[in-house]
Amino acid sequence: MPSLSHFALAVVQAVLLLAAAPLLSGFMRVVRAKMHTRRGPGVLQDYRDLIKLMKRQDVHPPASGFVFRLMPVIMPATLLVVAMGTPVITRFAPIDALGDLITTIYLFALARFFFALSGIDSGSSFAGIGASRELTLGVLVEPVMMLSLFVAALLAGSTNLGTIGAAVASLSMHSAAATLMAAAAFGFAVYIELGKLPYDMAEAEQELQEGPLTEYSGPSLAMVKVSLSLKQLLVVAWFVAVFLPFGNATSMAPLDLAAGLVVFVLKVLAIFAVVGIVENSVARTRFRLTPRHSWLGVGIASLAFVFYLAGL
Amino acid sequence: MHAPTATPDAARVGSDTIAALRLKLPHAVLDESWQTPTQATLTVKLDELPNVVSTLYHEHDGWLSVMAGNDERTINGNFALYYALSMEGAEKSFIVVRAEVPAATEEFPSVTPLVPAAVWHEREVRDMFGLTPVGLPDERRLVLPDDWPDGLHPLRKDSMDYRLRPEPTGDDETYQFKNDAKGETTVVPLGPLHITSDEPGHFRLFVDGEDIIDADYRMFYVHRGMEKVAETRMGYNEVTFLADRVCGICGYAHSVAYTTSIENALGIAVPARAQAIRSVLLETERLHSHLLNLGLACHFVGFDTGFMQFFRVREKTMTLAEMLTGSRKTYALNLIGGVRRDILGEQHVATLRLIGELREEVTRLVEMLLATPNLEGRVKGVGILDPGIAREYSPVGPTVRGSGHRRDTRVDHAFAGYGGVAMPVNVGDGCDVLSRTLVRVSEFFDSLSIIEQILADAPGGPVLTEDFTYKPHKFALGFTEAPRGEDIHWSMTGDNQKLFRWRCRASTYANWPVLRYMLRGNTVSDAPLIVASIDPCYSCTDRVTVVDVNKASSVTVPYKEMERYCRERTNSPLK
Repeated sequence: MPSLSHFALAVVQAVLLLAAAPLLSGFMRVVRAKMHTRRGPGVLQDYRDLIKLMKRQDVHPPASGFVFRLMPVIMPATLLVVAMGTPVITRFAPIDALGDLITTIYLFALARFFFALSGIDSGSSFAGIGASRELTLGVLVEPVMMLSLFVAALLAGSTNLGTIGAAVASLSMHSAAATLMAAAAFGFAVYIELGKLPYDMAEAEQELQEGPLTEYSGPSLAMVKVSLSLKQLLVVAWFVAVFLPFGNATSMAPLDLAAGLVVFVLKVLAIFAVVGIVENSVARTRFRLTPRHSWLGVGIASLAFVFYLAGL
Repeated sequence: MHAPTATPDAARVGSDTIAALRLKLPHAVLDESWQTPTQATLTVKLDELPNVVSTLYHEHDGWLSVMAGNDERTINGNFALYYALSMEGAEKSFIVVRAEVPAATEEFPSVTPLVPAAVWHEREVRDMFGLTPVGLPDERRLVLPDDWPDGLHPLRKDSMDYRLRPEPTGDDETYQFKNDAKGETTVVPLGPLHITSDEPGHFRLFVDGEDIIDADYRMFYVHRGMEKVAETRMGYNEVTFLADRVCGICGYAHSVAYTTSIENALGIAVPARAQAIRSVLLETERLHSHLLNLGLACHFVGFDTGFMQFFRVREKTMTLAEMLTGSRKTYALNLIGGVRRDILGEQHVATLRLIGELREEVTRLVEMLLATPNLEGRVKGVGILDPGIAREYSPVGPTVRGSGHRRDTRVDHAFAGYGGVAMPVNVGDGCDVLSRTLVRVSEFFDSLSIIEQILADAPGGPVLTEDFTYKPHKFALGFTEAPRGEDIHWSMTGDNQKLFRWRCRASTYANWPVLRYMLRGNTVSDAPLIVASIDPCYSCTDRVTVVDVNKASSVTVPYKEMERYCRERTNSPLK
């Protein structure tokens, strides 16, 4: 049973992540505008968009069913659970039971499943194609994630994200080469999970009219949009927790927590600045060619496993 | 209206072709008249019409440019059809095949089975004049909306007052979309509100998974009735300004085509300086149009950074247009007989400076574009236009040049100030989106050097002649190479200081029919990119009819239909 302070930390960090998600997407828009030599909107634009959407009417296609209606609730809820379990500003998972890597992977898969299902349930052919792409992408990316995280788990001797992070931070992993390989493969998988160009297959705006988002409107669209930003923030936080945990708070002391928060914000900003530059200098991959790219990830992750076996 | 049959003449380009035609079909040609030394009109027997057009098309390297219907009952008691062929073999000229359709039968033998390029033109003539092409494989309406009353044919002289809007006859969209797929397919509606083609065209993709098995489309949702308005309300020079408004991008090409058609019909000698200025402005138009398309190509593959950068540079071409014409678009500078404004010394200098800047910036951008990761993977081998299909349907511009056909009106039928200009015809042999894009890139740089050449060589002198009078029932073709390909106008003067008939064929009109073949075998995600690669201009295509269906049901019904197909998804409309 987690202590009350740990539980409070989990709740606070989940709420903070949710509140910061639109700020992050606003930041990405600013980076994008800079790359376009546009002035662009300010960082707070996404908050204004969400407030506007919240006031609008919610319209459902007549052919849609209850899954379509449920998804805008299930998706943020699932992601909030993930947010409670991920070590964000601390080195340990606030709630141990949720900080397990298998739990996290499956929670992300649950969110993806409902996201895709809602696309099929909407009755729109564009949303349907987006949904099938989303699922295909899941099949391609999840093995890379699993394999690379399992290598890290084997090296650290635990599947708990906090424990793996602690082992990486104290540089006590058995094999540096395998750890680096696993980090590279996981980083690649995380990039695909971000849904950014060149891999924004499911929501490809010009190709599929934003895929599963096509039929959403008003508050539902606001929920889905904030969930997608939250998911981006979470997968990056996940990567940071496992492979870049340096500078996290090791205790619950307020000063430690504050320092951990600052370090986390800096790390995330740096990562997203790089993501923004990559995203805006490439064209979208042809969907058919995505498996070739994801094989690269599988290859690196397998290599990490081999390195682990060889004890290098 | 017909000149007496002329004897073959060395100064007349195309006379050898006509002699060969007369030899092959001895009794087909009834009459031969020459509008200009490179333009002949042959009146042929109605029964021989398909054979004559087919012979010129297939045996003498003819390409079908336009077919104009004309209600000549007030002149000679019959309807007439004018099939204008651009002859691009040994003799480069225009040969117009004319046939009279008796008002009693209102039927003519369809040319489409022999020359597929005629299909849209014959469908249009059926809608607008009520003439039935016997044997036409595709009997659907092309231009008129589904709720248009039967038997009302807008371009007939006696059909209706231009202010009349008939009541819609029904609320249903009955248009049958064609699907040649063998197995079961899902319908993906694209437009009129698709995110990347927010224009009034509706595409229906029949897909299996993500593969497009077949595609069909419906245009002409927003008809502006320009041809009827020109014939009923406007004077000759007013139509020049109306022609500018055919398109928001390549309007100047249309007004040059229109004025050229009148000048050719009346034999007006336009001053050389005016012709040079026209060419400079046409190339300016090409600069901004090609930059637009290159930017959009970036946008459609998700590379918005390139899109924004191309649009930033494009602003310089707008500055150029503003300096030369007074408006950011090259509008309102033409008159029949010349242009309204000269290019002065300081503008000459400033133009050369802007050209230099454009060359430098676009070179850099194109290098950046071609080095962008994934770009080649997205555009190479996508949207293949088979050269054989292209030959059958006579598409124009970068669309046909990207498939290896060497067609460029500026070179084949030099008009305006292009006579003495040295310019290559850029072709690509990839037949895909990449090939068409690269053709546009090369043409952009050619345009820059063409402007420099013309400015250097342009003679002095007047820019306008008014030394002519309008004579009734004279007709001729006028043509330009717009950024998207050949624009061709066929005009006939009337006896009331108005046009008797104005047929305006925009380049995109010639390119739509091949799109179906380009879409087949690609994926849904490539569809917007392929559509964009012909650089379609919806407003150009929608220029000609008298119908303003905006206020009737045409806007709402497709939505309902679209939603229904969205919901049901598996119901192909033909099953």
